Amino acid sequence: MSVNTLLIGLDGATYTVLNELMQQGIMPFLQSFLAEGVRADLRTVIPPLTPPAWTSLMTGRRPGQHGVFDFFQLDPESRHLRFFTSHDIHGDTIFSLASQNGLRATALNFPSMFPAPKLSGYVVPGWIPWKQLRLACWPEGLFDSLKNLPGFNQRELAMDIKLEERTTEGCASPAEYGPWIELHTRREHNWFDIFRQLTLQDPSALTAVLFDGVDKLQHLCWRFIRPQDARPLQEDWEHQVRNLCLEYFRRLDGILQQMCAMMGPETTVILTSDHGFGPTRTAFHVNSWLERQGYLSWSEAASTWDTQGALLGVSQVARHTWMLDWNKTLAFAATPTSSGIYIVVNRDGNSPGVPAVEYGAFRRRLITELLDARDPRTGERIVEKVWTREEVFSGAYSDTAPDLTLTLFDGGAVSILPSQDLVSVRPDVAGQHRPLGIFAARGPNLCRGAQVGELSILDVAPMIAYTLGLAVPREMTGRVPEEIYASGTFRARPVRHAADEAPVAASSNESAATTRMSAEDEEVVLERLRELGYIE
Amino acid sequence: MNPSRDQILDYVLHMLEELRSDWDYSIPISAKSRLVADLTFESLDLVVLGTSIQEHFKAQIPFAMFLAEIGQRAQRDATVEELVEFVYRQLAQMNSETHPAGISQ
Repeated sequence: MSVNTLLIGLDGATYTVLNELMQQGIMPFLQSFLAEGVRADLRTVIPPLTPPAWTSLMTGRRPGQHGVFDFFQLDPESRHLRFFTSHDIHGDTIFSLASQNGLRATALNFPSMFPAPKLSGYVVPGWIPWKQLRLACWPEGLFDSLKNLPGFNQRELAMDIKLEERTTEGCASPAEYGPWIELHTRREHNWFDIFRQLTLQDPSALTAVLFDGVDKLQHLCWRFIRPQDARPLQEDWEHQVRNLCLEYFRRLDGILQQMCAMMGPETTVILTSDHGFGPTRTAFHVNSWLERQGYLSWSEAASTWDTQGALLGVSQVARHTWMLDWNKTLAFAATPTSSGIYIVVNRDGNSPGVPAVEYGAFRRRLITELLDARDPRTGERIVEKVWTREEVFSGAYSDTAPDLTLTLFDGGAVSILPSQDLVSVRPDVAGQHRPLGIFAARGPNLCRGAQVGELSILDVAPMIAYTLGLAVPREMTGRVPEEIYASGTFRARPVRHAADEAPVAASSNESAATTRMSAEDEEVVLERLRELGYIE
Repeated sequence: MNPSRDQILDYVLHMLEELRSDWDYSIPISAKSRLVADLTFESLDLVVLGTSIQEHFKAQIPFAMFLAEIGQRAQRDATVEELVEFVYRQLAQMNSETHPAGISQ
């Protein structure tokens, strides 16, 4: 039996915020949704970051199994970064799986979906610059039909990198907050309009919409949304900003209500985030710390580079290639998003870097020193946990993942920029990602009014496959969580697993991938088989 | 067979002209148009454009290298013509590596 499924993504949503908004009467529909359905905390991947997290949710695989670790992928040879694309995802997404089984699937605003997989259905990828949105939509002609929607505004719908920077770097003045929040409110309505148009015109068995304003607002406006984590709001403009934030959530609640009403009670609706959120006050200048430890050296170009007062270096990510002196650098952070450190390894014996035989000892020493790093202002430790590549990225595609990944005590972000201070204190409390996001679902055979124990983000894809009446692929690491279903559901309709398959190197949505990509994928498989001793 | 510079230029200009209709950008785009100063592209625009070029020519082109090269220029900009030249050279290099001279097919 196949049940139509609506997946609503709320990027970065946390019950820490939503519970309060429901209590205050700002999200009455969400409150009724939870009362009629089942809810749980949803543990995400490490680090709690949008591209790997949503990709894990869409594939049911860990990052080391699907190959997406950050917004960018580092080429270990050239040290250049390139943006992750859909071709980098190893394994089928739930959308591809549905499409392969003859079900129509629609995905709106999800990351890592460009170039769009050629589904039976519709794709408008997320994280696409507005000028290029036409190139990204599937099928051909979709963009032109969207342009005819009343109020369609591609500039507001898609991504504007300058606005993205503001999310984590902050607003320059109080006057910038209002228009920025209102833009995100309009943006969610834009995505809803597209959902409504496609649902009325040509409904899909699986429809998924990602609303990412929650993440943006919580990054920039945490202190207005949760003043108890910062300081009481005093000035009029601060109260106005808070009211605009609350209005954003009120409107979002209205959108959720309309979406559920359109789909009807026979549809399973899943509400989920990719990670949680919490307050942060500081940023750790990890490259400057590495420099002081003697593991990193800046190039002359770095001293003249104008970082324009940036805190994290969100707009500076590609610049490590010339900001660092590669003859003297043994370890570095390439992006502020991944909280990851790469170790430069001298594999051929003639290059700069840590000799391959010393890699293990060097990495252990680095971990010890990171865990002992202290904030010079307070004497407190900065790094709560250092994860090795094997711990958090185990899987066939972990080779390009950072060697080390940091979890900071403050829950904050790392900065890749040079700085006199090891730890920068933000002018005000901001929001940053946390490991526990949200899960809620309502529909046929699901528990009503129940709260169950923590689920994994890897469980969502198997659950969707089950709801759609599909066999759950063995390659999905997550499980169909029995505890969210009414008693007897599994007896009446047991979970079916797809027949055991050989390791899959590339998904069917990579059928349009380039010749060279296919060759690379083949080489990865061959390498794995060599390691396993199957071939010489 | 490797596409010629003109074929690559035709494709890139056609694509940019199609996109231009969505931008309310009235100035015609030519080989001399500057990606940043004239078309006001951000680095991510170049990434998406590059991915579309890769899709069309079915080859993995190291656009990160092109971006890094632009980033080191004083003006931090490049023309459409320079982008086309980069694509042409990369495709030619890949072709020569795939089909080295003297090896029969």
